Formats: sequence, C-alpha cells, structure tokens
Amino acid sequence: MKQFLVFIVKIVVVLLLVAFALDFIYTTVFVQSKTRNKVENVINSEPQNYDVVILGTSRANNHFVSELFEKEGLKTFNYGMSGAHLFETSLMLKLMVERGWNIKNIILETDLNLSNEKRDDGTFGRFMPFMHQSNTITEHFKNEPDFIELYYVPFYRYIQFDSKVGFRAFYKSLQQEPTNTLANKGYYPLGFNPKANMKNNIESLVPLRNRYFEEIKQICKSNNINLIAVTTPICSNVKGMDYFKKVKKLYPEIKEYEHFVEGDHYFSSCGHLNDKGARAYTSKIIEDLEFKRE
Amino acid sequence: MFFNSLSFAIFLPIVFLLYWLVFNKNKTTQNAVLIVASYYFYSCWDWRFLFLLVFSTLLDYFSAIMMENSSSDKKRKLWLWITIGINLGFLGVFKYYDFFAQSFADLLQGFGFQANPVLLKLILPVGISFYTFHGLSYVIDIYYKRITAERNFIDYSLFVSYFPLLVAGPIERATHLLPQVKIKRHFNFEKAKEGVYQIIWGLVKKVVIADSCATYANAVFDNYESMNSLSLALGAVYFAFQIYGDFSGYSDIALGTSKLFGIDLLKNFNYPYFSRDIAEFWRRWHISLSSWFRDYLYIPLGGSQGGMWMKVRNTFIIFLVSGFWHGANWTFIIWGLLNAIYFLPLLLQNKNRSNMGEIEMGWDLGSVKTILNILGTFALTTIAWIFFRAKSISEAVGYIQKMVTDLHFKSEYLSNERYNFELVLLVLAFVVVEWFNRSKVEPLSGKASWVKVTLAIMALLALGVYSDYKEFIYFQF
Repeated sequence: MKQFLVFIVKIVVVLLLVAFALDFIYTTVFVQSKTRNKVENVINSEPQNYDVVILGTSRANNHFVSELFEKEGLKTFNYGMSGAHLFETSLMLKLMVERGWNIKNIILETDLNLSNEKRDDGTFGRFMPFMHQSNTITEHFKNEPDFIELYYVPFYRYIQFDSKVGFRAFYKSLQQEPTNTLANKGYYPLGFNPKANMKNNIESLVPLRNRYFEEIKQICKSNNINLIAVTTPICSNVKGMDYFKKVKKLYPEIKEYEHFVEGDHYFSSCGHLNDKGARAYTSKIIEDLEFKRE
Repeated sequence: MFFNSLSFAIFLPIVFLLYWLVFNKNKTTQNAVLIVASYYFYSCWDWRFLFLLVFSTLLDYFSAIMMENSSSDKKRKLWLWITIGINLGFLGVFKYYDFFAQSFADLLQGFGFQANPVLLKLILPVGISFYTFHGLSYVIDIYYKRITAERNFIDYSLFVSYFPLLVAGPIERATHLLPQVKIKRHFNFEKAKEGVYQIIWGLVKKVVIADSCATYANAVFDNYESMNSLSLALGAVYFAFQIYGDFSGYSDIALGTSKLFGIDLLKNFNYPYFSRDIAEFWRRWHISLSSWFRDYLYIPLGGSQGGMWMKVRNTFIIFLVSGFWHGANWTFIIWGLLNAIYFLPLLLQNKNRSNMGEIEMGWDLGSVKTILNILGTFALTTIAWIFFRAKSISEAVGYIQKMVTDLHFKSEYLSNERYNFELVLLVLAFVVVEWFNRSKVEPLSGKASWVKVTLAIMALLALGVYSDYKEFIYFQF
C-alpha cells in the first residue's frame, strides 16, 4: 500500500508540474498576442486617442459602422463583443482607462443587456490569460464564486474556458494568425438572411438598475468621457416590447432607437441588423447625436 | 456523479482509503463499504431510483433461492418466468412503453383511425438496462444449474450494485464476479497501478477523443442539410470515434477503478476498429453485451444448430434485439438491422469465424488486404453509426443521401467555430497509439511508462474538452 501511495503522490506531482508548465507556456503566448480578439487588443495596447469608442454586445458589434464615423472625421473603433454582458463591458472600459486611452465619446448599447449583472462565460474566458497581469482584472473578478480556483489553481482557468483560451486558441496565437474580429475597425457586418427567424420573445426580460451600467457612467464621468447610451433596433415581431418602456422609465437618459429601422429587409435576424440596416442606423445616430470633438 | 467529474475524483479516494485502511478486516466489511459507496454513487443521480435497484436485487436474490429450492422443473420454470417478466416489465415501462404506445397510435393513424395514446414520459432510471441484464443472467444461470444460488445477501447485493459497473456495465456474469466478491481481497500494487493507468487512458479517450469529436460531430449532424460531402463523411467518422472513445473510455475507467479494489471486471472492448470483418467487430465491441445476447438469446433460440435458415433467423433476432436494447427508437432498430445485413454474407459463406487470431502485419500483399479489410469494416460500421446518431430514420437517410450525392469536398466552417478538418490529426494520432498497443490493455504501461503518463496528463489538460461538458452516451441506455 505504501508503494502505491508513493506512486499516486508521484502522479499528483507530475500533474502539478504539467499544469504549472502549461499555465506558464499558455500565459506567455496569450499575453503577447493582440490580433485575435478585442480583449487582448485592449490589454496589449499602447495609449490611444479615440473620438468614438463603441461598447456593448453583438447588437453593438453588428450595428455601428465605424467607417461612417470616420468619414465624419471621428476616429472610431467598435469594441462591441458578441455575447458580452455589461459586466465585461465595464471591465473593457476600465482597461482602456488603465492603458491610458484618451476617449472623447463612448456609445454604449444599453438595451437587452441591462437585464442581467452576471458574467458571460464566453467573453469572461477571454480575460483569463491576463488574470495575473492586471490588477484591474483581478479586482473586477474577485467576487466571482470561482475566483479562488481560477486565480490560484495552475491551468484551471484554461481548462474551465477551453473553448475560448484552450489549445486551439493557444496554437493560433502562437502562429500569430489574425482573426477578422478587428477588421472594419471592429464592426462586423451581417448579410441578409432570407431564412432568418424574424420574431422574438423578450417577455421574460426585466431591465435592472444595473450596477455595471452605473459603474460605466461613473468611469465616464470621472474621466471626462461623453457617454451616449442608446438602444438599438429590433425587428417588429417581438413579444414583450414594453421592456423598452421600462428601460426608458429606469434610465431616461438612454436614447431610444429600437423602432428606428422598420422592415425585415434591414435585418439579418430579429435582434441583428444586416449591413444595409446598420448603415442606415449609424447614419441616423451620427445625424442625431452630438459628439465631443478636439 | 460521472467518472470524469470532480465529485468522482473526491469520492474514489475516500472509498479507496476506507476500503483498504478502515474496513479491510474481512470480505464482509469490504463488501459492506462497497455497497454503501455504490448506493451513494447511484443516489447521486436520482435517489428515488435506488428503490428500484434494491427491489431488483431482492427480486433476483429471492427468486434464485426459490428456484433452487423448488422440487419440480415446473416450479423452477414458473419462478424463472416470474422474475424475467417483472424485470423486463420494469424495463418495458420505463424505457419502451411510450415508444410502443406512440408507434401503435401512428400505425392506427396510418389506417385512418385517430388515436391519442397516454404517454408516461418517465425519466429513464440510469443504468436500468445494465443491471436488469445483469440480474437476468444470474437467474437464468441458476435455472440452468450453471451456478448455485447466492445465499449471502451482502455478497449478492454487491454483485448487482457494484458502482464501477452499475450505470453502464460491463454486464457482469455471476460466474465471473461472484467468486471474487466471496473472498477477502488483498491489496496488490501491480494490479492497482494497472488500474490507475487504465483510468488515465480511459479519461484520455473520453475527455480528449470522444468529447473533442463530439463538438465536431454535433456541429455536422445538427446542420447536415447545409453540409457538403466532405463534412458529412468527416462528421460520421468523428461520431464513430466519439462513441468509441466515450464508451470504451468509460469501460476503461470502470475496469481500472475496480482493479483498485482488487476486483477484475469483464473486458468490454478489444480495439474494435481494427476488426477485419463485421463478425470480428462484434467480438471486439461491447463484448459483455454481445456475449450476453449470444449466451442468453442466440444459443437458447437454437444458435447455429438447425441449419442455415435458423442461423440467419437467430442472427437477425439478436441484432434487432441488441439495437432495441440501446433505446426506444426506430433508428436503433435499423442500426441493428444494418449490422445483421452486414453479417449475412459472412454467415452464408461460413466465414464469420475466419478472423479469430491476432492481426499479423508485414511487408506483403496479405497485409495490404488486411488493411483494406479493416478500412472496409470501419466504413460499414461508420455508416451504421449514422442511424445510431440520427434523431430519426429520415434524418439518417437524408444525411447519407447528401453525403453521397453532394460531391463537394471543400473544407467548411462549422457552427462550433471550427473547420471540419481540424480534428483529423488528433484522431489519426489516437489511431496510431492504439494500433501500436493493440496487444495491451492500455498503452501507458511498459517501457518509459512515466514519459507516457506525463504525455497522457498533458493531453488531458491541454486537449481535453471541459467547458462544453458531455455525459457518457451509454448512460442513457
């Protein structure tokens, strides 16, 4: 039995050594990558100057055409991320500030994402390699229930979020293979989809007085950033549209655009405009809103 | 509590230490701690079904004794059929009732009658097909006087509910397992070490191979209508490796775990994808179920006695029943039927036992033929797996139709945000490792075992799929 226990201890030691080694190798590669996603692009950035930075979910990513802002002389980047919640959006803004970015205006998509304060695992996972590199990230995550494991157990964070920062992402980062996430200054155009499901049911969603939206407002205020919070278009066949009324009641400063684009031909799916719709919407935003300039 | 879960990683060492260090006094204390652990393990799924397990244990235990005590053959037969009837009755209600009710209603509807069947929509108790067959083999063996009835209830309970095999086999035989639980086990370092190697290799098969293949196979099968020939062919191959890695990985973990307690379980897989014909495949795949059907269905039906027609009839029966055993869906029945059809030419030519020996390879034409036979058998098996994986027969037929008629072979981007060829290298590496270790239980033991264990752990950590958690496929049966 003693011999067996020694054998098991040896296996555990091998396991720990392998975990430490892999953690070190993965982290080394990921922290030097800046072309594969928006998170690492921000974390590994030098101080930047932007007239407009767009933040939010895919409904920001697919709806704000950076090129149209640039035509107006506004240096712009769309940092909307598919699936992101305000929890991660707030962290992205903190990191931009921490990296010394000078931002004049932030357009924040604030509509369906106001309904929760939880993390989105898909986006959260992308921050994992940087947990030990940035105090801002550590602080932002420290109240998560699995923070201890993620922070202290070697390689656990890469296992837990292997679909985002697993071997495949590691290998592609090692090869420095870029993705199209950063193309078009962060805007991702969608095509027209004739088979798309042009209905939705958002009756179960309730907008919250969201602590991360409050946090974003606070950061913008203390850094003299003009925050423009907007709702974005959604198709007409939606059950539970009074959600937006509740948003308005809760946050009167949020500008309403959920009805701006009418007609399914402007949509790729019920919640996402196609490129044509996005261009119409962005043009309207540029026309309506006042942006801080140099 | 799955074998690849953190809770099992905590549960197993606790039971191991209690078993060898605290309750090691005699075989009764050893068995008692294993029974408690097994019942706890089972109740982690759904404690309510524990009553079903205990009832099944009591039923088989007492009916075996009654059978043995019966003075006449008539009474023995009565006890046998009562036990079989109740056991299969439970299986029927939980697993097959809704299927039969719905199929009957569909049939009536085909004749123009309106039928609204009452469906029970019961949750299937995990492992019910396994422990029912387990108990049935015991009572049938008693009936045929192959063994004597077990009078010690603790020993018998452990035989039925032993946790490594409880939820997905292997389907043990009383002749093999009962003698082992009737004696005190002594710790054997070599056996325990072998068990650990087998557990690690089983985890590699499950977490690295099966679960990786699953993400790709799901992305293809779920969108098969928009996929081209290359993607569909790869999707089928990925599923073939998913189900193999999943089930043989589970079996390896079960066998390895049992070795830690000094108990050997029946081998369930023997590198089935290296089979040279379909008959050999069925001697290497889910061996404990195939041999169960052979011993308790095929042979009682007359087996290969009574001429070619009887052989063909009995072969079709066991394949169809085997398909149906897997689940209450026509897809499983067609899967069984396809395998029977594959088997038929071998049977008619009396060649179903022509590949009994080890695979010998050299630099000659015979080896080329062997490789072609292996690839041919794998292709046939893979086509049959499409029916096993598909949700309906029309989906399976549509899948195959698209695969052979689309004839576009460009790599496609899948819904799992991967390209359809990305996994091929990993699967090939796995095949190479298995090929060069096909004479061993697992590839980690032997020379340079620490290097191999380190590589396996590395693969587990770096290549395993954890975030998209997948349970073992055979738990649903």
